[in-house]
Amino acid sequence: MASQTLNSSMQPTDVYGGDEVSAIILDPGYSSVRAGFAGEDTPKSFVNSHYGVNESGTVFGDDAIHNPLAALDIRNPMSKEGIVEDWDTATRLWEYSITSRLTSFKQADPRTNGLNDDLKDMDVEMDGIEEGEKPLEEHPLLMTETAWNSPKNREKSIEIAMESWGCPAFWLARNSVMAAFGAGKATALVVDVGASTASVLAIHDGLILKKSVQKSHLAGNWLSSQLRTLFETSEPKVELVPHYMIMSKSPVDAGAPAQATYRKYEKSPTDSFRALEEERVLTEFKESVVQVWPGPGRLNSNNQMGMTNLEYAKGQPGRVFEMPDGYNQMWGVERFSVSEGMFDEKAALPIPGEQPITKAQTIPEMVKASVNAVDMDLRSQLLQNIVVTGGTTLINGFTDRLNNELVAMYPSARIKIQAAGLTAERRFGSWIGGSILGSLGTFHQMWISRKEYEEFGANVVEKRCK
Amino acid sequence: MSQSGVQVDNDCIKQFNELKLGKTLKYIIYKLSDDFGNIVVEETSSDKDWDNFREKLVNAKTKNKQGKEGKGPRYAVYDFEYDLASGEGKRNKITFIAWSPDDAAIGPKMTYASSKDALKRSLNGIAAEVQANDEDDIEYNTILSKFNKGA
Ligand SMILES: Nc1ncnc2c1ncn2[C@@H]1O[C@H](COP(=O)(O)OP(=O)(O)O)[C@@H](O)[C@H]1O
Ligand SMILES: [Mg+2]
Repeated sequence: MASQTLNSSMQPTDVYGGDEVSAIILDPGYSSVRAGFAGEDTPKSFVNSHYGVNESGTVFGDDAIHNPLAALDIRNPMSKEGIVEDWDTATRLWEYSITSRLTSFKQADPRTNGLNDDLKDMDVEMDGIEEGEKPLEEHPLLMTETAWNSPKNREKSIEIAMESWGCPAFWLARNSVMAAFGAGKATALVVDVGASTASVLAIHDGLILKKSVQKSHLAGNWLSSQLRTLFETSEPKVELVPHYMIMSKSPVDAGAPAQATYRKYEKSPTDSFRALEEERVLTEFKESVVQVWPGPGRLNSNNQMGMTNLEYAKGQPGRVFEMPDGYNQMWGVERFSVSEGMFDEKAALPIPGEQPITKAQTIPEMVKASVNAVDMDLRSQLLQNIVVTGGTTLINGFTDRLNNELVAMYPSARIKIQAAGLTAERRFGSWIGGSILGSLGTFHQMWISRKEYEEFGANVVEKRCK
Repeated sequence: MSQSGVQVDNDCIKQFNELKLGKTLKYIIYKLSDDFGNIVVEETSSDKDWDNFREKLVNAKTKNKQGKEGKGPRYAVYDFEYDLASGEGKRNKITFIAWSPDDAAIGPKMTYASSKDALKRSLNGIAAEVQANDEDDIEYNTILSKFNKGA
C-alpha cells in the first residue's frame, strides 16, 4: 500500500482515469503558442501568437498572417507581461494551434470551425462550432502559465478547457517550475528571458516563492528595439525593409547602397503588419549576429591589458549580415553593444519615446533582488541552482556573462548556472516539462476531473494547482 | 506534495525508521520503479565509507522512454556523522539527498524532481537536505562545509 501525504483539501475527489488518450500540452507565450501531445519530445504545433484582423475576419498562423495583400491589422491577445488580455481571441488562437496542427484532430470545415474566418466570399452562416461537439472532448489538457498570472485568469483557463473545449480533465502548471524540474531541481532560481518579459524567481520544493518574483521588459522585444536604434543611428543609416517589400535585388559590396526594386501594393499594408515583418528580420539578425559580451567585466570596464573591453572587442572578428534589400555590412563591436543594456543599464541605447532603463531592470540586479527576498538560509542554495531558460538566453555569451556578473556580485558564494545545451530544451523547456509530466501514468492522481470542476467550480484550480 | 502523482512504497518509510531508530543502517538509496509509478528502496547499507556510497550515486542508471540506459537520478538518506569544526565532538545529521546529475536525460530529471516531495514528506526526522546535480555536490567535504557553516 502506498502512503502519500495529501491533505484532504488537496485530495482529488475523483480520479480521472482515461489512460487511452494522450493529454494535450499547451504552452502559450507572448511570441508563440506551443502545443502538442504529452509524451512527445517537442511540440508539434508552434504558432505565432500574433494574429491578423481585416474587414472579413480574423486569421491565425504563419501561413495566413504574413500575407501583405490581406490588409491585416496585426494584434496579440497576450499582454506585454505574457498573460492573456483578450480571452476571446486567445481561446481561438489556442484552439487553432491545437486543432490545425495536431494530426489526430479532424480539421473541421474551415468555413464553419470559426477559426480562420476570412470568409468574405463564402456564403455560410458564421456561428462557429456546432452545439454538442467540442474540440477536446477526449483529451485532458495541461496548460502552462506564468508565476504572475492572476487568480481570475487561472479560473478562466479551466473554464475554457471545461466549457468551451469539453476537456475531461485539466491541469495548470507554472512554466518556471517546469523549467526547474526539467533541470533536475525542485529548488532553483529560474532566469527566463523570452520575448516580452525577463523574469527571475525562486522555487523551493517545487513551489514558487511569490515575494521573489522579479520581472522587467529587458527581453527579446526590447533587444529588437535596441537593434532599431542601432540601424537608425548607423552611418550611413541602415534601412530596415522587410522581405515583402522587395521585388528583386542585386548583389552589392559591403557598405554600398542597396540596389533593389520594391513592390508596390494597391492597398499598402498596415504599420502593425510592417512591424511584424520587420521583427522577422530583426530576429534573424539576433540569431546570427548578436552576442553578449561574456565578461569578465562589463563592455565599458577596463581589463588587465589596460584598455576597455569595448576596445578589445573591436579587434574581434565581425560578422556580415545581409538585409532583405541586399544591403550588407560587417558588424563588429555593435554585436556586443546592443545586448549590453541587459546587464549594464548605462550601456543601453536610447529608444525613442521610451524612458531610459533602470539598473533595477537589468538581469543581474533582478537576481539580486530575487535572492534578497528569500530567507537567508536559502540564498546560497539558490545561487548554486540557477536555471536559465527562454529564447533570448540563446544569444551567445549570455550564460557566461550572467555567471561572471554573479561571481563578481557574490564573491564568496558558489555560483552554478544550468542551461540546457539543446536549443529545443531552452526554448520549449516548459512545454517539454509538461509533456513529461502529462505522460506519466501516475499523473492521473493530479488531473482536476470534470466531475470535480462541476462540483467545486473554477476555483478548484486555486486549491489544486499551486 | 508531489506534483507528479508518483507514490511512495511503504518499505521506503520502514527502512527509514530502521535507519533512524535501529542505528545499524548508514544509508538508503531510493529510486523510481521501472514504470515510474512509485518510489522504492533500491539498497540499504551499513557501509560507513562515504566514497563507496558516492560511487553508487555516480554510477546510478535509469532507462529512458526508448529503453536506453543512461545516467540516473536517485534519492538517498544518509546518516551523516561529522566532527564539529569547534572540535567539540561529533554530530549526526540524517540527510536527505536528491541526486540528479546534470547529464541525465530530461525525462528522469523531470520525474525525480517533481516527485521528490512525496518521499521527503513521508520521512519523519530528516535534519538536512542536499540537492546535488554534479559530482562535486556529493563530495564529503562539500556537504561537511555546508553543515559546519550551520546552514
Ligand atoms: N537563437 C536566438 N538568439 C536570440 N534570440 C532568440 C533566439 N531564438 C529565439 N530568440 C528570441 O527569443 C524570444 C522568444 O523566446 P520565448 O522564450 O519563446 O518567448 P515567449 O515565451 O515569451 O513566447 C523572441 O524574442 C526571439 O526573437
Ligand atoms: Mg516564455
